Amino acid sequence: MPELADRPQPATGRRGPKIVGFLCDWAVASEGVVRDDGTMRDLPNVTLIKIPCSGFTRPAWLEFALRNGADGVFVCGCPLGDCFNRYGNNLIGDRVEQLRRRLERQKVNPERIGALFYGKHAGAAFVDAVRAFSERVAGMPGPAFPARKPAPATTGQGPAASTPGPAPQGGQSGAPAGREGT
Amino acid sequence: MYKRLLAGLLAVTLRLDTLIARVYPDDFNPLYYTGGLSNLFLTVLVLSGIFLFLYYTPSFDQAYTSVQFLTADVPYGQIIRGIHRYSADGFMIVILLHLFRNWFTERFRFSRDEPWISGMMLLTLTGFIGVTGYMLVWDQRSEALVAMTANAAAQVPLVGGWLRHALFGGAGLTDLLLPRLLFLHIGPAVGLYVFLLWHYTRIRHPKVWPPAVWTLFALGFVVLLTGLVPVTSQAPAVVAQRPQTLAVDWLFLTPYWAMRFLPPLVLIALAVVLIGYGLYIPYQLPETRSELGLKDSGVAQVIDANCTGCELCYYDCPYNAIVMVPSPSPGVTKAAQARKLRAVILESRCVECGICVGACPFEALELPRLLQKDIHERVLTACQS
Amino acid sequence: MTDRASTYVLWIVVLAAVGLVCTVGIVWGELTGHHRLGGALIGVILLAYSFILLCLRKGGFTSV
Repeated sequence: MPELADRPQPATGRRGPKIVGFLCDWAVASEGVVRDDGTMRDLPNVTLIKIPCSGFTRPAWLEFALRNGADGVFVCGCPLGDCFNRYGNNLIGDRVEQLRRRLERQKVNPERIGALFYGKHAGAAFVDAVRAFSERVAGMPGPAFPARKPAPATTGQGPAASTPGPAPQGGQSGAPAGREGT
Repeated sequence: MYKRLLAGLLAVTLRLDTLIARVYPDDFNPLYYTGGLSNLFLTVLVLSGIFLFLYYTPSFDQAYTSVQFLTADVPYGQIIRGIHRYSADGFMIVILLHLFRNWFTERFRFSRDEPWISGMMLLTLTGFIGVTGYMLVWDQRSEALVAMTANAAAQVPLVGGWLRHALFGGAGLTDLLLPRLLFLHIGPAVGLYVFLLWHYTRIRHPKVWPPAVWTLFALGFVVLLTGLVPVTSQAPAVVAQRPQTLAVDWLFLTPYWAMRFLPPLVLIALAVVLIGYGLYIPYQLPETRSELGLKDSGVAQVIDANCTGCELCYYDCPYNAIVMVPSPSPGVTKAAQARKLRAVILESRCVECGICVGACPFEALELPRLLQKDIHERVLTACQS
Repeated sequence: MTDRASTYVLWIVVLAAVGLVCTVGIVWGELTGHHRLGGALIGVILLAYSFILLCLRKGGFTSV
């Protein structure tokens, strides 16, 4: 119970879903798009983390963000084929696909994980795409990871309650939850 | 000034990409495959060149007639000859596109100067091979080109006479001329592959072929052009009679056209300056990452305790900056116990892109100033704000 | 099948027909010694196939 209480609740009603984005240094120019604190100017619910290349992103970081309260994560690289480092965006594109499949087996909606590809001057198109992504995520119910423990308070959803099995084993399967996927 | 110009040209390049993207999907954009297209044209040139070589006779009295025989009497000889000529033009065009695109998108930065330098040498060599190709036909244009080149070479101070001898085997037209030219056409063409090896050394998975759409398009366009505008020779060369006109192939013979207006020595100096500037381009902007407004993450480091020798980073590093070496001892973590190899970073090749970090599932690679810990912290702050 | 896809199918059929006609032309050129025409038609076939591949991709019949 305390573990669940610590987890930040998704702020769907208030400011839109909490979204973390990884933005390649060579892709969309961040001037005019990102504020000083890393959130996007037009979409304050989206925080961008600048990275040297989209291929730098470890898929585990996307999962880490989802497990720690983000409702959606995405990586933005240069247009496919135009990576400054030649294949970084193709690599992360493939890895995002793999992560989606892996997390789908853990009952996470794969649409919560996105890969966007926009060039340096495509700032407007990038903002539109992120907005669309944000709205799509906003329409999804509940936190990204269904509750591990079949706690009475959160048994609203069918699949969440059915996965870990009956209550007595819940404590065992719930303990290493954070490391299970990695 | 130069920086602003470069920024403007980058904007134009990227706008061109978005225009192309309206017709072709991103991964079919031909401008992303100028290197692969060059390689395609080079391959076509080598194959068609072998065919032409089988028919060509390098002697004054037979060179022209052997080319005429090939063109008129050999089935599809005309087509093969045209493919060779037009592919050469296509080769030059895509090389120049490759040069300008990588220049404007600043892909000569950090440790990528070696592909740039070898590329400049490939370009110079290609121009030379193109000119000697026009000389081999031994029509009036060939003779004019030989005379003009010999004249220009002889005017170079100190080494002029030696240079002319090296190129054409002596003053005037000697019997050695055409065999020598044949070698000067084919020898440097082999040399292209030597420089290509250098060009590719720092590139993992080079894009050596364009997508099938563009392979078919380039081949089809060349072959169609061959049929529509057949390649012909001019009148045969008549020794001791200087021709007055020069049909110019703008991609290869522009310097000879310019000889009408400028003395050869000025042109040679201009060529040296241009090539010299080309070699200097990667060093013109010696900016550090922080000056570029990028985070200076530092050269990637292997955390030896975690390395399992799985080679994933080795396969993904775009610059061949990671080598796998036999491991003297097992790693510390459980996964690293049975390792035979371990990763070692060649720091001089690393551009700090961090792709190896994304490739490593065992947390055995880090960028020193952008650690996984930092990313986790940022993610947590983002999620809790 | 969507409207968009069927447009591309139409184009693919047209281009394939062009390729077929060109093949006939090449054979005719080979028999009558019109090698230049045959060569040009090879070029047309290659160009047609290039655009067929593009239509396949844009119509969504092949993926990346």
